[in-house]
Amino acid sequence: MGRFYFGGIHPASKKGLTRRKPITDISPAPHIVVLPLIFDHATPAQPVVWEGEIVKLGQLLAREGDENSLPVHASVSGRVLAVEKRPHPWLGLAVMSIVIENDGKDTPFEYEICDFHTLSQEQLIQSIRQAGIVGMGGDPYPVHQRVLDARGRVDTLIINAVECEPYLTADHRLLLEQGKRIVRGARILGRVLGAKRTIIASSGDKLNGIERLERMLNKIVPLRPGEQAISVKTIRSCYPLGAEKLIVQSITGREVPSGGSAVDVHCTVFNVATAYAVGQALETGMPLTHRIVTVSGGAVTRPRNLRVPIGTPISDLLVCAGGLKSEPYLTLLGGPMTGMEITDLSVPLLKNIGGVICLGEWEKPPERHPTVCLQCGHCVAACPMNLSPVFIHRAFAENNTQRLASLYPQDCISCGCCDYTCPCHISLMNIMRLATEKLAEEGVVAP
Amino acid sequence: MTRYSIFPVRRHPRFATSSTPLSIMLDLIVALLPTLGMATYFYGPRVLMLTLISIGSCVGFEWLYLHRSGRTWSATDLSAYVTGLLLALCLPPTAPYWAPILGGFFAIVVVKQFYGGLGKNFMNPALAARMLLCTFPMMMTTWAAPMNWLSLSPTLDIPVDVVSMATPMSYLHNGLLPPLTNAQMLLGQHSGSIGEMSALMLLLGGAYLLVRQVITPRIPVTFLGTVAILTYLFPQSGTPLEWMTAQLLSGGLLLGAIFMATDYVTSPTTPRGQAIYGICCGILTVLLRYFGSYPDGVGWAILTMNCAVWLLDRAGMPRRFGVHHFNRTREFFLAVGADFSKIRFQVPKTPRLPLKKGEMPGEQHLDKLRAIWKSFSVFACLLIATGLLLAFAHSMTDFTIRQHDQVEQAELLAEVMPTADIISEVPYRTPDASLVSAGYRDNTLIGYCITLNVNGFGGLINMTVGIDVDGTVTGIAVTDHSETLEMGTQALTQDYFESFIGRSGTIRTHGANSVDVVSGATVTSRAIADGVNKALSIVADMQEKGMGDYEYGEV
Repeated sequence: MGRFYFGGIHPASKKGLTRRKPITDISPAPHIVVLPLIFDHATPAQPVVWEGEIVKLGQLLAREGDENSLPVHASVSGRVLAVEKRPHPWLGLAVMSIVIENDGKDTPFEYEICDFHTLSQEQLIQSIRQAGIVGMGGDPYPVHQRVLDARGRVDTLIINAVECEPYLTADHRLLLEQGKRIVRGARILGRVLGAKRTIIASSGDKLNGIERLERMLNKIVPLRPGEQAISVKTIRSCYPLGAEKLIVQSITGREVPSGGSAVDVHCTVFNVATAYAVGQALETGMPLTHRIVTVSGGAVTRPRNLRVPIGTPISDLLVCAGGLKSEPYLTLLGGPMTGMEITDLSVPLLKNIGGVICLGEWEKPPERHPTVCLQCGHCVAACPMNLSPVFIHRAFAENNTQRLASLYPQDCISCGCCDYTCPCHISLMNIMRLATEKLAEEGVVAP
Repeated sequence: MTRYSIFPVRRHPRFATSSTPLSIMLDLIVALLPTLGMATYFYGPRVLMLTLISIGSCVGFEWLYLHRSGRTWSATDLSAYVTGLLLALCLPPTAPYWAPILGGFFAIVVVKQFYGGLGKNFMNPALAARMLLCTFPMMMTTWAAPMNWLSLSPTLDIPVDVVSMATPMSYLHNGLLPPLTNAQMLLGQHSGSIGEMSALMLLLGGAYLLVRQVITPRIPVTFLGTVAILTYLFPQSGTPLEWMTAQLLSGGLLLGAIFMATDYVTSPTTPRGQAIYGICCGILTVLLRYFGSYPDGVGWAILTMNCAVWLLDRAGMPRRFGVHHFNRTREFFLAVGADFSKIRFQVPKTPRLPLKKGEMPGEQHLDKLRAIWKSFSVFACLLIATGLLLAFAHSMTDFTIRQHDQVEQAELLAEVMPTADIISEVPYRTPDASLVSAGYRDNTLIGYCITLNVNGFGGLINMTVGIDVDGTVTGIAVTDHSETLEMGTQALTQDYFESFIGRSGTIRTHGANSVDVVSGATVTSRAIADGVNKALSIVADMQEKGMGDYEYGEV
């Protein structure tokens, strides 16, 4: 096991629901897919198809608007139904999207396959960009932007396969079934970044996946010239260890300074699904059209791991998982600790969503009635950033800005450990955010 | 670096621990039940009665206080129940029924509610109440032998109802190993408070709390570990291991370390602070056990450290993520280096005043100094004058005080030897008497006045006894005492003193040549008789040996 680390929490993992379910293609295939043209506040992509046009799987639908935005590709083959405004999962408004009616044939668009070993670094980065790859672990940043930022400044590339959120097993199944492609993608990323070493980090609850990967590294995938050897490291399975700052600390022992990013300590972190997408895109020449999703939760009849075209409505995913056996009290995109609640099941699945969780009525946490703070100190012990939420709570209640500034609430990574562990049900995470806002108002910290 | 995130602000997690204040308090009660059961087995239903009264009074006072102050009392807030239970466990099983009621009032109203209620008090309420009850030493140090069920009567008569027995702690306090096997210590077959009987049951409760994650092992482990290490290193008898085991298993150590020191509200919140807190509690406990006047020091140690929680929380503040110790040290050394680099050796510049014609070098400096001395001399004169004035006033008052003392002394001596006209101090020295004076009438020695201290009930009694050369008591006067009013002072009346006058030889309190003791003031009466006897023997000795050495004995 890796470095010993204090803090963190151990929520019930519930991964047993889907841990042993192999990745299957979604069936029945979705009737329509909805592909939003906007993924960021950056310029939206410019559509190059129009209504009624027949498109193939992987065909370019919209060109990138500016250097920050990415192209959009068809994730199924069929007919373009409309280019219109459709609801977005979390932006809370309808955004311009391309709707494709699926013909069920998945006729691939013929891309020219070139040997990526012969490509230069710049060409590789361009290929990653043209494949439309974003960070697939949570934050949907464009991978090529992250690569350009970190290029030449990092010595360690970390592939994050920790997946510490409860319920989610998509990355675990990827490790087990697609090890070869993950290693391929990790090597390409390492080469592009000029990193001295590449480490695939996973946690102790995925030991079979790690074993499979190590065997793959030793025997099957031969090293090409210019590629660095990849090592696999196991860290303790504990909730917020998948967060960027913590995984860097666990693997390398370096601590990201306050307000900085992993690049500041010469590391960069990519999700394992991102590495898989890079490997797949450069091996097959096809852009990113599918992703692995865990459909799980107490309200789902047959929880499973699915390979799903991007843009599939969430309701179709649930249909494939046997539907709901009871009315869910909550439907989440992402894990239950940091995921987003959705009410409209017709929103499309996007590239960065690794799980759809429908929590049953019986999984509802106990009613939260905030009581007076007992000063138990559980939040201080659990905080992975070594903050003291109990003192921040007190200083915030006393409106003591000076004391608040000395407690650094701006370092909070919003992991929710303090909220989870508080027996008095004080919503500490919210207070940390309010305290940071207050400090920003007072001009103590930069907003 | 640009942030690309468009994720909305995350809200609270959809998962939460199932623990609530209610469940925590319930767990604490469950963890304490085995201990209570064991004590009930040893001492009978009186233990349960005490516990019920204690819990009832704590909850009752809390309800009353909240009701009177216009706040709502919540039935699901079990903290008062836990306080009551812990208070009962701190009491000896022989305690009268009013003890938990008084303790409950102090714990709930004074220690807890006056400071703002749950979560605000800075001292452990149960422990503070126990320490208040320690001001009734007889009540809190009467220990009953186990396996004798006590009667349920409100107050117990010690020799009739209770077979008393020394606690293991009192053996340890005297530097001896208690005559008990480890199995006896674990099961609790010895005397002690209700809650400190069975070490095994306390450990069971602690294990339950650890499994339920109500407490973390930080405080109990550091507390018990420190005590173990210190007692192992400094044993007072037996092998180090035996001594350490006896120290760990006896007294309130386990109860304190597992249930009292880990109290959420009054222990530090930061992990490192908790560790320091445990270590300090352990050190204080061992120091109080070895050098204190009470046998056990756990309660005092925990209360003392409760008062230092504010400091420990700040001392134990976790290191901020991303700020290494190394970085801080480096910054410190860089700052020190910068400071040192500012230090430059400079040749001191002596001012050179231009010389005028006909002047010696240095004369101008002297002129300057003279001006300074002039202004200083006024100040110095003032200082000296004030000092002299003060000294004079002091000596005058001192003289008056001495004079007053002498007059008082002379009056006192005249009281105990009315026939003498001159009384003067003699050079006779004895460890028993603080002053020996001789009385003269017409230049003839007629007797001696002996001033001495004897041990009374409440402390030293300073008395003067007049004895003539025949060895007969001429008078007794008491100048200083600390006896209980209305009780001990019954033996300090002039009537009682007069019963001694005219007697000689060793005066007893019963039998031949006896002066009866004053009922209700036995100890004081005996002390007075003792003092008179001492004075008599001193005088007899002086008559025999002259002004030589003296040994106390019967006349």
